[in-house]
Amino acid sequence: MIRTEHLCKSYSHSSQYEIRAIYDINVTISKNSFVVFNGPSGSGKTTLLNVMGTLDRPTAGKVFLYGEEITPFSDIALARLRREKIGFIFQDFHLIPRLTSWENVAYPLVPRGIGYKERFERAKLLLEKMGLGDRLDHTSEELSGGQQQRVAIARALINNPEIIIADEPTSNIDEETSVQIRELLNELKARGVTILVATHDAMFEKVADVVFKMKNGRIL
Amino acid sequence: MNKHLNLLFLATENLLRHRAKTVVVCLCLIAILSPFITAIAISEGVRGQSLISVNAGADLYLTYDEFGRNAAVPLKYLDEIKKIFGVTRVVPRIIGRGFLQNKLAIIVGINQEDVPESISCVSGRLFENSHEVVVGYELATHFHLKTGDQFSMRCQQRKVFTVVGIFSSDSSIWGASMIFMSFRDAGELFGKQDVATDIQIHTLPGHNSEIATDLYDIFQHEAYRLQDKQMVSLYVKKGFMLKEGIFSAFYVVAFALGVPAILVASGFGLSERKKEIGIMKATGWQTLEVLELISMEQLLISFLGATIAILLSVLWVKSFNGAFIAQFFIAEITMLPRFTLPARFLPLPCLLSFFFAFLLTMVGSVYSSWRSSTASPVVLMK
Repeated sequence: MIRTEHLCKSYSHSSQYEIRAIYDINVTISKNSFVVFNGPSGSGKTTLLNVMGTLDRPTAGKVFLYGEEITPFSDIALARLRREKIGFIFQDFHLIPRLTSWENVAYPLVPRGIGYKERFERAKLLLEKMGLGDRLDHTSEELSGGQQQRVAIARALINNPEIIIADEPTSNIDEETSVQIRELLNELKARGVTILVATHDAMFEKVADVVFKMKNGRIL
Repeated sequence: MNKHLNLLFLATENLLRHRAKTVVVCLCLIAILSPFITAIAISEGVRGQSLISVNAGADLYLTYDEFGRNAAVPLKYLDEIKKIFGVTRVVPRIIGRGFLQNKLAIIVGINQEDVPESISCVSGRLFENSHEVVVGYELATHFHLKTGDQFSMRCQQRKVFTVVGIFSSDSSIWGASMIFMSFRDAGELFGKQDVATDIQIHTLPGHNSEIATDLYDIFQHEAYRLQDKQMVSLYVKKGFMLKEGIFSAFYVVAFALGVPAILVASGFGLSERKKEIGIMKATGWQTLEVLELISMEQLLISFLGATIAILLSVLWVKSFNGAFIAQFFIAEITMLPRFTLPARFLPLPCLLSFFFAFLLTMVGSVYSSWRSSTASPVVLMK
């Protein structure tokens, strides 16, 4: 489903030197698998997920999605891919502060031309599944870390994506919520969604189909 | 269509969510646009009233010409002019300026039988005898003059006048600082007998060129100046264009200062906005959709700002009588005019103000918005 060939990403800090975040990554991820990228901080997990998830462009190498190379795609085509096929869960939740839970969840539906009522219904349904049915009108400032992450997961699911990319989804939340989130991702996998997780959390390895260990921007 | 409607509603919600920023940008727009709209409205009003006066006035204006300027014309030719075929009425006038205490007044001297019918907005009555005057509303208010009061005035001669009437506040602006008296009194006051500052000649339609030829025969050895209605009207228009031009020059400076103000105001919460755009892009928003949303926000805020600016301008003119700004367009008036200021709110300046508002907000935000919406989501969300 997702394949990378000699994928590299560097950041130049000045004209004199550059930092290689990932280097020569070759992975193949099959459909409906639960893949975990594990490694210490700075090992390149987040960069790899960002590049595979089209949030960032590689410096060199290729990314294939369903056999088609997406590296040369335009920004518009990549945005369409993200809208239709990929949902993101971030370590810092990345909710829009002034919006309520349901508005955050429904935000990706706005440019799709879906009306207010349907947006609300779809967001409500997902938030109820996340156990946040009573927090629909709460802003992110009024929610705990675990609740915010569940809102972020609901937002990732609102477009019924085929791939979920989660970057350290449990690092900023308590253990009880971490368990819930792992179970939730496992449930999604059971429903046919491909899950890619970058994490320090060793517990994810128990539910993963494949685990890639990373260090210094390379897969070990 | 639904997508654009969604974006429009979201833009409205965003403006309400970021109230402080919306208010600051609106205030900047109002501060920039309101004086502009007010000034143009006053200018148009005064211009309109001037042109009405010109149209209601004589067909030809005769003066002498000295050093390229209008000069007094002797009355000895009056009878000859009256005899020209096509001339229906000849009105000699003295129009001058003099101080009433510390205040400059326009002195108009005219024979009682020549007083135009349009001068009716007077409380009291028009002058009938020597030393009787009608005073403008602004002067009367300033000096607490009422009918029956007396005042003295010195130009070349010192004279004591009795106020018999006062122009009402809603009469023509020309009446505001005017002292209206008999032709003889005005001549005595300025120490000039047997001359008029100009002679108004009313004619039958289509006779102007023939009358001009006859006048040439009468004044062939004199330097004189003959102006018709169209010419006077052209001068009036030109004069206002010049005033508007000077005002516009001032305004360009204000406009140039306004752009950075809007830029600063639009920059409030920029880091929060950048992050928001990053999230939008990460969740599948396209660059054009982000830009459309931002443009709609700017469009709404400029519509709001311009609408309030127009309403405030109407209030400025109607309730505060164009205070502090009318001086640009009407000479010799105080910062707070005491007469009803003529003003016309034409559609074009109002539409232009919407355009300016949109231009200002777009100039203030387009660069940061463009950079944000074209950057990678990862960079924006950092």
